[in-house]
Amino acid sequence: MNLKKVLSPDTVWVDLKADSKQGIIEEMIDRLLAAGKINDREAVLTAVLEREAKMSTGMQNGVAIPHGKTDSVKSLVAAVGLNKSGVNFDSMDGAPCTIFIMTLSPTKRTGPHIQFLAEVSRLISQPAEREKLLACTTHGEIYETLTRK
Amino acid sequence: MQEAAHVATNAVHHVGGDVVHAVAAAAHNVHEAVVHQAEASSHSITHMMMHLIIQLAVIIVVAKIGGYLFQRFLKMPSVLGELASGMLIGPYALGGMIDIPNLGILFAESHGFAATPQLYGIATLASIILLFLAGLETDLAAFIRYSVVGSFVGLGGLFAAFVLGDLCAVFWPGNGIDSFMDPAALFLGVISVATSVGITARILAEKQKMASPEGVTILAGAVFDDVFGIVTLAIVMGMAKVSLGGGEVNWGEIGIIAAKAIGFFVVVTALGLIFSRKITAMIKKFKSTEIIVSICFGLALLLAGLAEMAGLAMIIGAYIMGLALSRTDLAHEIEHHMEGVYNLLVPIFFCVMGMMVDFAAMKPVLIFGSVYSLLAIVSKVVGCGLPAYAMKFNLRGSLRIGLGMLPRGEVALIVAGIGLASGIIDQGIFGVSIMMTVVTTMLAPPLLVKSFEGGSGLRKEMDGGGEDVEVIELAFPSRDITEFLLNRFVRALQAEEFFVHHLHTEQPTYRVLKDDIAFTLVQDGGKLIINVPQANQHVARMILLEELLSLTDLLESTKQMKDLDEMGSDLMSGLFA
Repeated sequence: MNLKKVLSPDTVWVDLKADSKQGIIEEMIDRLLAAGKINDREAVLTAVLEREAKMSTGMQNGVAIPHGKTDSVKSLVAAVGLNKSGVNFDSMDGAPCTIFIMTLSPTKRTGPHIQFLAEVSRLISQPAEREKLLACTTHGEIYETLTRK
Repeated sequence: MQEAAHVATNAVHHVGGDVVHAVAAAAHNVHEAVVHQAEASSHSITHMMMHLIIQLAVIIVVAKIGGYLFQRFLKMPSVLGELASGMLIGPYALGGMIDIPNLGILFAESHGFAATPQLYGIATLASIILLFLAGLETDLAAFIRYSVVGSFVGLGGLFAAFVLGDLCAVFWPGNGIDSFMDPAALFLGVISVATSVGITARILAEKQKMASPEGVTILAGAVFDDVFGIVTLAIVMGMAKVSLGGGEVNWGEIGIIAAKAIGFFVVVTALGLIFSRKITAMIKKFKSTEIIVSICFGLALLLAGLAEMAGLAMIIGAYIMGLALSRTDLAHEIEHHMEGVYNLLVPIFFCVMGMMVDFAAMKPVLIFGSVYSLLAIVSKVVGCGLPAYAMKFNLRGSLRIGLGMLPRGEVALIVAGIGLASGIIDQGIFGVSIMMTVVTTMLAPPLLVKSFEGGSGLRKEMDGGGEDVEVIELAFPSRDITEFLLNRFVRALQAEEFFVHHLHTEQPTYRVLKDDIAFTLVQDGGKLIINVPQANQHVARMILLEELLSLTDLLESTKQMKDLDEMGSDLMSGLFA
C-alpha cells in the first residue's frame, strides 16, 4: 500500500507537546483541523475517545494507534506524530508511547482504512524502522522515512 | 406412445362405461375416432410429463441420498454419490428393469440415448446453472493480478492434460482414432483438462494449509485452469463442429476457429465487465432482488444460447455471463438466490450423467479407461508440478501442487455429456471419461493428505522469505457467536475492499484476497481459525479486533432492550389461559 496516497507532509509531526493520552489525542486533532483535513473537531474527538473507551490503542514498544470512525470525514484521514519524551497511553506493555498513528475513517464508505493502520503498524513493528523514525528531527524527514518504499 | 393411446382408449371407454348407449356410440363412430385421436395425443403429452415427473422424483430423492451417503461415510464429494446413484438407477442397471404398470419402464433408453429429450433438457438447464454460478464465483481480480506461479501452474496442467488425453486416444490401437485433430481425440483431451478444486480446498482447509505457499498456488492455478479450460473447450467445440460437418480441419481453419472462440470469449467478457455495472444499475431500478436475479439468470440463458449459435457451447455463454457479473455487487445476491435452485437441479444433472454410463459398452474399453485415467493423473502432477518446481518449490512442494490439481469433476462431466449428446464420443468413451473423473477425484484426497506430511515445500533459498503461516485461533462459548462474528468479520473485510471468496466446503471457509495479501478463515464449531502468512497478520488481527470490540456495543444495546424475561412472558401470556 502506498502511504503517500494518505499521508502528506503536513500530517506528520516530530514535535507533539502534550504529556497525557487525552492531550495527545486532542493535539493531533487540533493539528489536523489546522491543516484543513477535518472540520468538526468535536465529532472526531468523540469518535476517537469512544474507541479508546472500549480498549486502549496503546500497543507495545511505544506505539499507539488512536483511531475512530466518523461521518464528519469523507475519506480516510491519517496522521503520524512523535513525542520523544514518551506519554502514558495505557499501553499493553505499560511502556510510555512515543509514536502515534491516528486514522479517521467514514463509517459508510468502504476503503482500506484499518488496512492503512495495519500497514504502518507493520512497518514500525520492525525495531530498525522504529529507531529510524525516532531519529527524525524534522517533519520532512519523518515523511521521507514513512513513504520511502 | 402406443401404450399411451391404449391407456387413453381405456379411459374413454371407462368414462363412457356401460352407461353409454350402444346406438349412440355406433352413430358417432367416426366422430369418436377423431376425439380418440385428439385425446390420445394430448394424453400422450400428459403421459410423457407424468413419466418425466416420476423420473425426476426418483432422481432427486436417490441422487440426494447418494450424495449424502458419499459425503457422510466416504468423505467424498457429493457429486460422486449423485453420479453413482445415476449409474444404479439408469437404464443400463435397475432403471431398465423396473416396469411400472400404466407407466412403462422407469428409465428406458430412447433413441440410443439414456435420457429422454425432456429429461436431458432439465439436465442441460442444470449444467447452465452450474457454469453460471461457477463464473459468478470466479475471482477475476485474483485471476488478473494474482500469482504468476499460479498462472504457469494452471497453464502447464492444462497443456499437459490436453495433449496427453488427446494422444492417448490417437495411439490406442483399434479405436479408429488416428489423428490429433479427430473430434473424439480432441474431446478426450479437453475432458481431462478441467480441475475441480473443491475437494482440494476442503482438504487444504482441514489440514490448515490453505494459506501455505502450495495452497495459495493451487487455488490460484485452479482459477486459471477454469478460465483457460473454458477457452480450450470453446476452440475444441468449434473444431469438432467443423470436422463433423465436413472432413478435415486444416491449420488455417483452426486458426480462424481459435480466433473466433477466443474473440467471442474476450469480447463478450470485456463487454460484460464494462457494461455489467450499467446493466445492473438499470436492472436495479426494479428494486426487487427477486426480479433482478431472475433477469440476470435470463441473460445467462440468452448468452448460453448465443454461444451455441456462434458454434461454441451453451455452458461457455453461461460461464461468461457469470464472469461478467462476478465483479458487480449483485454477484452475492444472485448466488444467494440461486442456491436453492442449484441444490435441487444440479444433482439431477450428475445423476443423469451417471445414468448414461452403459456398463456393457464400457467392458471393451476398460483397459483404455485405466490408461486414460493414469495419464490424467500423470499429466496434472507433471504439468502443474514442473512449472512449480521451476519457480520456487522443491520436489515435495511441486508434488503437492500437482496432486492438488488432480481431481476432475463437474466440468469434465458436462463436457463429456456434450460430447455424447452431439455424437462426437460414443458410450464407451463417455464411460471412460466418467471413470477418469471418479478415479482422479477419489485418489486425490488420500494422496494429498499424505504428501503434506513432512517439511516445507519451498526450495531452501526461497524458504524463510516471510512465508511462515501464523494460525490465529479464537474459541467462543457457542457456535452461534462464532458464526455471528465470522459474518461480521467477512463484512468488515469487504468494507476494507478485500475479496472474500466463500468456498463450498463442509466447514464454513473463506479465502481473503487483495493484492499480495491472502489468508483464510475457517469456522470449526465454536472456533474461529485464521491462517495468515506472518507478513499479513497485522491487517487480519486489527480488523478482527475492531469487530470484537464492536460486540461490546452490541452487548450494551441488548441491555437497553426490555427485560428478556418480561418479553418472554409477554409472548407466552394468554396461551394457556
